[in-house]
Amino acid sequence: MKFLFGLSFLVFAVNLCFGQDQPLAYDERGKLIHYEVVEMNGITKAQLDARAEKFFKKSAKMLKLKSAAGDSLMQAAGKIVITKTALVLSHPSGEVQYNFYAEAKDAKYRFWLTDYEFIPYQRDRYGNFVPSTVIGVPLERKPGKLNAGEWEAYLKYATSQSRVIAGQFKDAMNAKQEQAPKTKSPETISTKKW
Amino acid sequence: MKLKSLLTLATLSIASATYAQEASPLQLSGSVDTYFKYDFAKQPNIKTYFANEQNSVSIGMIDLALKKTTGKASFVGELSFGPRGQAQSIVPSADGESFHIQNLYVNYAFTDKFSMAAGYMGTFVGYEVISPAANFNYSTSYLFGAGPFQNAGIKGTYAFSDKVSLMVGLFNDWNAYQDLNGVSSVGGQLMVAPVEGWTAYINVLNGFHSGGGYGSGTIVDLTTAYQITEKFKLGLNAADYSASDDAGGYTGAALYPQYAFTPSVALGLRGEYFNIKGAAGAADAAVTSVTLSGNLKAGGLTFIPEVRFDNDKDLSQSFMKSSGAFTKSASQFSLAAVYAF
Repeated sequence: MKFLFGLSFLVFAVNLCFGQDQPLAYDERGKLIHYEVVEMNGITKAQLDARAEKFFKKSAKMLKLKSAAGDSLMQAAGKIVITKTALVLSHPSGEVQYNFYAEAKDAKYRFWLTDYEFIPYQRDRYGNFVPSTVIGVPLERKPGKLNAGEWEAYLKYATSQSRVIAGQFKDAMNAKQEQAPKTKSPETISTKKW
Repeated sequence: MKLKSLLTLATLSIASATYAQEASPLQLSGSVDTYFKYDFAKQPNIKTYFANEQNSVSIGMIDLALKKTTGKASFVGELSFGPRGQAQSIVPSADGESFHIQNLYVNYAFTDKFSMAAGYMGTFVGYEVISPAANFNYSTSYLFGAGPFQNAGIKGTYAFSDKVSLMVGLFNDWNAYQDLNGVSSVGGQLMVAPVEGWTAYINVLNGFHSGGGYGSGTIVDLTTAYQITEKFKLGLNAADYSASDDAGGYTGAALYPQYAFTPSVALGLRGEYFNIKGAAGAADAAVTSVTLSGNLKAGGLTFIPEVRFDNDKDLSQSFMKSSGAFTKSASQFSLAAVYAF
């Protein structure tokens, strides 16, 4: 019985711990940033650039490439949609726009997400949630006391999603390829032999 | 007893893990609103829609909307309960009132550029809407009150690019679930976004009733808003409605400058000129209105203090002084609280 209580507690605790991320850092401009430098021994710059281009092509819906092909510094724009939950139902309440930069050298590459800006959503006349403005508020800007709690939640979510996006980019740069699952043919009964 | 405890614990653990993995596409949203309005002449003078009850802590409506998207198909169902969502916005039906549908439609996106929707939808005409969560000012304009609120019908929208799209549709009579003289209104909307932050809609709706009347005629409407800077936004609504058989109509324009001091505090002005066209050669009558509203936001709550001054030079609105004598001007103060979730 004690073991079962402990196990259940662990399940809840794991859920809680998973939600606690390291906060985003600040760069020399005073802007929030998720920054990583990754060593890739034995991989050339050309190979890394090619992997990065492949990632941006595959992620075209998530990240819109702004730099031209062949540029040494790749730049893309993305957005993280924030959802608000009421009971078990949710709807989008805003988005955090960001810029994604990537650059490679022989045997290493770096990337960073920065320029986070929050744009609130509003429900339109047709019941759809759409951006209420086109000019976002930088996430670095501290809101007044009235909205401090919500702002903190946006920051935390942007942080956690930045890690997810960073993970996807690093997987692509590692050229990890998913193996197609082996399809198992269904069992059939032979009516010929009996 | 031991087995019961075991099963309870297992269920709780599984429920927790499952909830963390599922992402439901069904969306629930809505709003509630309440207000206090005081006319300085102690008369219910300004008769534009909503915020009409004098010197009373009154209610607007509870609005509930469901939306779900599965692949290319989606639906929206939106109901409202309360004065703002019922008698004040929809003509009562023969069966009496219980609740009202604000939106009930299905949408199918055939491609990234082309989609169609059919059902009962919020009107595409005009700047202001019924939902208080989507308007900056709490009281509404004369243009809003005179135009359609909802259009049932079928429409197709084609997005040529992010900057241009065109909608064309066939609609029932204005604000009616059922068209008693056959689907006969044709409408269209051209959207252009010349520069980032500026969107303009040119709307046309032509309706027909065999006996004439409300919605029988042609309305041409311009609705546009430009987020000029991070803090300053300018909106404009201009419309012309000509009722068929020389039955009058209206022309009007309203300007909406808004300034956001912070993301939580904004001030907005609405300046409106509204001209009622005289029917069968009768004289026109014009009204002007200036409304100053604040928006103070805390999470989902928006507090809207508002003051409004109307001038009715042609005495078409029956404004009265506290003594009961007719007058050309009216003014009111209101406080509204809108919670959107």
